Amino acid sequence: MSTATEPSAGFRNEPILELRRAPVRESLSEALRELDARLPLEVPIWIGGDRVLGEGDRRGGAVGGSFASTDPGAPGRVVAHAGRATEDDAAAAVEAAQHGFREWSARSAAERAQVLRGAAAILRERRLELATLQVRECAKPWPEADGDVCEAIDFLEYYAREAVALDEGRTLVQVAGERNTMRYAPRGVVAVISPWNFPLAIPCGMTAAALAAGNAAVLKPAEQSPGSAGALVEALHAAGVPREALSLLPGYGDVGAALVRDPRVHVIAFTGSSAVGLDIVRASAETPERQGHVKRVVSEMGGKNCVIVDGDADLDDVVPEVVYSAFGYAGQKCSAAARVLVHEAAADTLLERLAGAVRVLDVGQAERFATEVPPVIEREAQERVERYAAMAPPLARSERALPDEGWFCAPTLVADLPDDSPILSDEIFGPLLAVTRVRDVDEACDVIDSLPFALTGGLFSRTPATIERVAARLPVGNLYVNRGITGAMVGRQPFGGNRRSGIGSKAGGPDYLLQFVEPRVVTENTMRHGIPVE
Amino acid sequence: MESQLQEVGRTIHAALPGRSRHPLRALDQRAMELASQDAELRAALFRFVDVTPACRSLDELARHLTGYLEEVDDRPPPIEAAMRMSGTRPGRAALGAAAAAGVRHMAHRFIVGESPKAALKTIRHLWEHGAAVSLDLLGEATVTEAEADRYAGRCMDALETLAAAAPSWPERPVLEADSLGPLPRVNLSVKVSALTPLLRPEAPEVGREDAARRMRPLLARAKELGAHLHIDMESVDTVEATLGLVFELLDDPELRAGPSAGVVIQAYLRESPEQLEQVLGWASRTERQQPLVVRLVKGAYWDHEIVDARQHGWTPPVFEAKRDSDRNFEVLTRRLVEAWPHVRPAIASHNLRSMAHAVAAARELGREDRDVEFQVLRGLGDDLAAALADLGYRVRIYCPVGDLVAGMAYLVRRLLENTANESFLGEQQRGTPIEELLAAP
Repeated sequence: MSTATEPSAGFRNEPILELRRAPVRESLSEALRELDARLPLEVPIWIGGDRVLGEGDRRGGAVGGSFASTDPGAPGRVVAHAGRATEDDAAAAVEAAQHGFREWSARSAAERAQVLRGAAAILRERRLELATLQVRECAKPWPEADGDVCEAIDFLEYYAREAVALDEGRTLVQVAGERNTMRYAPRGVVAVISPWNFPLAIPCGMTAAALAAGNAAVLKPAEQSPGSAGALVEALHAAGVPREALSLLPGYGDVGAALVRDPRVHVIAFTGSSAVGLDIVRASAETPERQGHVKRVVSEMGGKNCVIVDGDADLDDVVPEVVYSAFGYAGQKCSAAARVLVHEAAADTLLERLAGAVRVLDVGQAERFATEVPPVIEREAQERVERYAAMAPPLARSERALPDEGWFCAPTLVADLPDDSPILSDEIFGPLLAVTRVRDVDEACDVIDSLPFALTGGLFSRTPATIERVAARLPVGNLYVNRGITGAMVGRQPFGGNRRSGIGSKAGGPDYLLQFVEPRVVTENTMRHGIPVE
Repeated sequence: MESQLQEVGRTIHAALPGRSRHPLRALDQRAMELASQDAELRAALFRFVDVTPACRSLDELARHLTGYLEEVDDRPPPIEAAMRMSGTRPGRAALGAAAAAGVRHMAHRFIVGESPKAALKTIRHLWEHGAAVSLDLLGEATVTEAEADRYAGRCMDALETLAAAAPSWPERPVLEADSLGPLPRVNLSVKVSALTPLLRPEAPEVGREDAARRMRPLLARAKELGAHLHIDMESVDTVEATLGLVFELLDDPELRAGPSAGVVIQAYLRESPEQLEQVLGWASRTERQQPLVVRLVKGAYWDHEIVDARQHGWTPPVFEAKRDSDRNFEVLTRRLVEAWPHVRPAIASHNLRSMAHAVAAARELGREDRDVEFQVLRGLGDDLAAALADLGYRVRIYCPVGDLVAGMAYLVRRLLENTANESFLGEQQRGTPIEELLAAP
């Protein structure tokens, strides 16, 4: 971008905790004990400045009720009680956002950036507590919970800087007698609909981008993780985002659908399942007479991510990296590895070593530092994973006894499935990895090319020409070479999928804010009485 | 003390064998020099050495080699010639064969044999010439239980093989006793990371327990055979598990009477002084009969630690300036010598100054020369070992054993070390004057 300031100047990723140090681990365990003493948390609906939790808080006596988020590892433990937003709440929040937009967009980009960075400072201050919340609410193991908090901080810091740079506009061709400028203006009201698997980072990223660019936002977080979303909104409000410019609507799909339909919403930023994402794309295309704009949709959806293992790959690296990519957080990352396509020359050895590595995977509660595979998010997810796992004989499963309670699934490795097995095409979003043998890397590319998704991909090869060829050929949004395929870092690996995985925006990258602004070009005639006055 | 140090250093330097004693060794050295002058070429050669074991044909070898060399901008004439060869299939076969032979030759310089049995001849030869060894079994990363079991089995086999052969070695009093008593002829180094697939930095206790399960029988057998078992240190991620494992197992009542055992302190770690105090504290409290051997090294995972820390935004756990490591090495050497007889110091270095400093520090503190052991790496410290042995010091050569595939990671690390511009060996090869080699860090 040809702006005066380097967009990400001064940005550096928030360092993750050094969990290899015992005192750091002890501080987290201590923070978890403190959180447990405070559970359940209360997460209100925030509409404009109004805080709604119980029935008595409601204006006009509308009845929405409340709902609870629970610990996937101990479903009896309630983590948060949240007000359940209704369709009326959605309408009220959008109305408030229209007011909030006027106030927020009137501030300079630098002022808004300052506020967002203030929110980052609050998250940083609370990072241990926020990590513990994810351990409980989403069964995220410590490294991933901490990583998620850091990513949230990164989004705030990064978009704050990007927005300031974007505000300077673009350089255009200039000729004598005219002055051309291209600037970006916020669009208006952004509806943010976020998933539970990165319960702080993803809502934070989408909301921060919307706000940094000068929009007002209405956040509808996943019903599984209202607690983290509540903490996010609290931090943003405390840092100085006007309450009307940011509302929080904990609740279910009906609220999200109401936001998507609302003609006063300009942008819908969504991350989640393909089914919902495509519904949003369809519904947003409806443009009733009274709607004065065309809606913009940012939709990040599913994947069926493959790792190619070439015949010359270093299996010492491949095994741990693939195992972590497939089974870390029980495979519940949109970037997770679902399939391995291995060169036949390396296949037998790889399968034997992968099987051995899967057998020793540590399945357990997220709060244990030793846990590699926590429970999945809910009963329905557990049933889905088990349904798919039952379709093929396992080559290996973790030999750990599963805990008695919690939505646990044994991590499973399958191999050599028939081409039409649903395991090879459906997004399962759980700890199930399928290995397929291929003649060579080109056949592996053909397989990936035939899939509808194109989110992440991996390649392990030590041949420079192969790396170049595969990188040029694969359609995936993020290709990782000779490393695991999860863990994109803000500013370093802008993240997002192509094809049916997403619309091609890249979270945490230099293009992302463009989804939240509209470009305006001004051309001024600078000639006065035949003289250019510039 | 400094004058003592200088004198000892000059004596050792004078005892070093001539530079190009062995024609093949001189050839190697030229290749190394070439590589250390050009970063791109160095990268290409390392990548080639790294991939060699995964290549299934000469053609594949040649394709990889030329693939890496293509990324080098300024190719010296011999490399250009190699590139031209790769244009035809017979040319590639010849190039592949030559390159494979080159890698094997280099590997043999650092790796004493494919198996302990195959290494016996070399080990005996070294012993006869006044150098003891510590055997190290190279292997692929351990990611499964089966691989951990296999490594433990190989360790057991190594102990048995060495113990069966050792009685026939001639007497070498310098190598067999210090002023505290006899020292085992058989010495094996083991890696905790190879003994368990469960070693993880955020949960050290899990890997520690799993490794302990396999380490215990090795210690018990070493005790019966009168062998020494040395537990190596690897990256920072494994330090807590490794020290915990050593303390726990060696304090076991059944293992208190033996075997002789040891740990490693890495002087490039900022935390190494605290780690050493932890070890010394344990050593002074333990009821074990044989003093713990503490091998002081600079550390071989510097690049890994730096990159790992940078990628995570952490302060690197290692000193970034070589001179800080060197200075710390001397501080820790002194502390170790002071702590004798709770521990037996073993100074592992290829740095003339560090070695001379250890001798001088020991003498100043009233220790006998034989109460400090010197250790070097096979293939890198051979000349130094010969000089030290000639002068009557106790020297032990760390000897990796394993096949080419298994040895590759080790080999690449050693090569990196050897071509690093700052390495002592590099300076020595370039003919740096003795005053500089012995200058205080």
